[in-house]
Amino acid sequence: MFLKVSLILAAMVAAYVIANGPLKLSVELAMVFAAIVGAVASGNWLPLRHIAEGSSTYLDLALIFFTATLFMNVIKASGGLDLVVRGILSRFGDKRAVALILLMFVMLIPGALTGAGSVSVLVSGGAVAMALTYLGVSKDRITAMIFLLAGLAAVAPPVSVWAMLTCAGTAIPYVGFELPLGIPVLILGTFTVMWLGLRPTESMGDEAMALPEVGPEVSGWRTALPFVVVFSLIVASRVWPHSMPILGLPLIFLVGAIVAYALNFRKIDFFKLSSETVSQLLPLLATVISIGIVIQLMTLTGVRGLISYAVIAMPLWLVFTLLPITIPVSEGILGFGGAAVIGIPLIWMLNSVGLHPTVALSGLSLLWCLGDALPPTAIIGRLTCQTVGFEDNYSTFLKTCAVPWLAITVVGTLMVIFSRELSFLVRA
Amino acid sequence: MSRHVLAKLTTAIVMLAVLIIGGQELYAHRHYEEPVVLGPGVTRVERLSDYFEPLRGTMNDSVVYVLEGEEEGGKAFIFGGSHPGEVAGTLAAIVLVENAVVRQGTLYIVPHMNRSGSTGTQPSGGYPLYYHIDTAFGSRKFRMGDRVTHPLDQWPDPDVYIHYPSGQSLSYVEIRNSNRCWPGRPNGTLTEQTNYAAMELIRKHDVNIAVDFHEAELMYPVTNCIVAPSKSASIATMAAINLSIDFDIHTEPSPPGYRGLSHREIGDHSDAYPFLIEVPEPFLDQPTGPKTESLLLEGKDEILMRAGDKGLLFVEFDESGKPIELRVGRHLSTTMSLLEEWNNFSPDLQISIEAPDYYDLMDNGVGAFLRDPDTADPSMVVFD
Repeated sequence: MFLKVSLILAAMVAAYVIANGPLKLSVELAMVFAAIVGAVASGNWLPLRHIAEGSSTYLDLALIFFTATLFMNVIKASGGLDLVVRGILSRFGDKRAVALILLMFVMLIPGALTGAGSVSVLVSGGAVAMALTYLGVSKDRITAMIFLLAGLAAVAPPVSVWAMLTCAGTAIPYVGFELPLGIPVLILGTFTVMWLGLRPTESMGDEAMALPEVGPEVSGWRTALPFVVVFSLIVASRVWPHSMPILGLPLIFLVGAIVAYALNFRKIDFFKLSSETVSQLLPLLATVISIGIVIQLMTLTGVRGLISYAVIAMPLWLVFTLLPITIPVSEGILGFGGAAVIGIPLIWMLNSVGLHPTVALSGLSLLWCLGDALPPTAIIGRLTCQTVGFEDNYSTFLKTCAVPWLAITVVGTLMVIFSRELSFLVRA
Repeated sequence: MSRHVLAKLTTAIVMLAVLIIGGQELYAHRHYEEPVVLGPGVTRVERLSDYFEPLRGTMNDSVVYVLEGEEEGGKAFIFGGSHPGEVAGTLAAIVLVENAVVRQGTLYIVPHMNRSGSTGTQPSGGYPLYYHIDTAFGSRKFRMGDRVTHPLDQWPDPDVYIHYPSGQSLSYVEIRNSNRCWPGRPNGTLTEQTNYAAMELIRKHDVNIAVDFHEAELMYPVTNCIVAPSKSASIATMAAINLSIDFDIHTEPSPPGYRGLSHREIGDHSDAYPFLIEVPEPFLDQPTGPKTESLLLEGKDEILMRAGDKGLLFVEFDESGKPIELRVGRHLSTTMSLLEEWNNFSPDLQISIEAPDYYDLMDNGVGAFLRDPDTADPSMVVFD
């Protein structure tokens, strides 16, 4: 079986290289093509049911992407984003460090509440990017900062989806994560904004210094109310979980978009804006659908199991050494699936050698968030580039992330290795 | 029409065709009804909606098989399919329905506790849609299921699930996990309402013991065991000691801080003594080969064996695997051992049954204890 599954994996890799190279297929189509080649090689031929089923794996995520982006696009079209930026900069523009810390919290809160870095990028990313531009931060640094803060937001309590998914699979209660997740996120978030933003990197000419103009029809309450509605609905579902109907994030953002549309006095063609939002997100939506198909076919063929085995079967010292690679790469390939495929067996293994599962899982979560910038999926990385309008080479963005990335990696890895010693952080 | 538009149109048509053709298999699976033949011990057939009316007509209006003895005695609620992908639990419950005879007391048996979850498999899981058990009259076909309620029956999920009534936060997907939604609530989600109906059954009939059949990964420390809260611990311990002659089994305490599980909440919200039985199912582990029907039923896997060689498993695992007859047999013998200990513990509320046990299953296979729905009296066949 080992040999057979290894050969299937080799066939998939070869098919991907050919599809993405000589055949010039996009990354998404090349991945699906490779997965189908794997299915054929395993004797499953063209498994239409599995392709159909796999394509629905991340349907919820796709809906969140669309509705949250639509929400922010309505705010942007109505001039609300300009008002937010003007507000932050006119009050804190001369206190750079304070402004950066404030912007960090603006980025952290949506992701911390929802567990999705994408929500941070989509809800806050545009405004924060604009504010950073006026603070004289270069576009590559803005993109890096927004991506890293969105990742840390997804790790931050109260909702960390990686930790929750792994807890669900390992029957570890999702309790006591507040400090092991919260403290490193705040320290690393502060380090990230200071490293990337404290020193102006763009020339701050007159044009750059000028704050965006805001028309008289754009008022604070009109801009704030849609955000208030969205956050109120999210918070209400936590405060009254058993009396509030479950709306789900897609509907919450859609309600926010409708409120923003109803309150704005600029002429916006809602249906045209919706259509443009779909076009804007099409590559990202294609990625999440393709990834669902790929994971399903990798499981069908046994390749997913082989990868999972390869990670956990290593000696402990090698597991620790390779954590900075295996964990982000698993996220880059499998998305949240990485928590199931590698996280669950890994936590059981670490638990069995006496490490503290809650602290170790918190450390792993820090590493997972980095993987959202890694190919082939690079979902949050690409979303950030799109939101910020960063059109330079993707590797430039990754290089700009390097120092904070290293800091997050070191902290995450040490938290796993020294989880027993750090167990005082866990207050169950 | 430009080449670009033509390419887009072609791609859309191909994708639509894949979804329609592939979706048909999923539709057929969702609507496939399993025949269950009423055995000699079944005296009544009810539904969960008989205990909570709003469930009527929903996917989770699961069938309750009642087996009453000639003599009154204690009452046991036995259920499988909380996690429909853990098929030995469902099969063990069906074997009891088709074979058990109750001498004293009453059994309430639900093979598909979360029936909705059994009508779909796990997206990205690569599961087979069905599994087949060989019998002397051919094979019996059963639905393979997901771990959680089907999203067509309960959607959307919140961004975080907050358990009722404890307020404990759990991963969003757990709101569709039957074994994280006990004790349920009447105005809750479908999953919570289903568990509430079961709690109403337990409370209405003053059920004495509740047994929840599960399967677990071999990499998961809580397997080959009976999980019990402190009130049930002495019965579980004695049962495990008696069974340890036959197979490896131990007891695990129900963690007081981990809410929503049957072994915690049933005991806390009724007078019943709850037990959850875990048997090892290699199919559930992450490091395995392809997720095939043969892996599900024979429980053999080379990759997992290598993990065992490296000391990563919590149970013995060799070439003989963990076949379905072993897993179903363990459930049956463990249940009977729990009933025996219950009888010692509470002589006034005896529950006495005759049913196949571990050795019967290991010698003859599961198929020997399944009846032929095609030759059975149609009035004795229930489609579930």
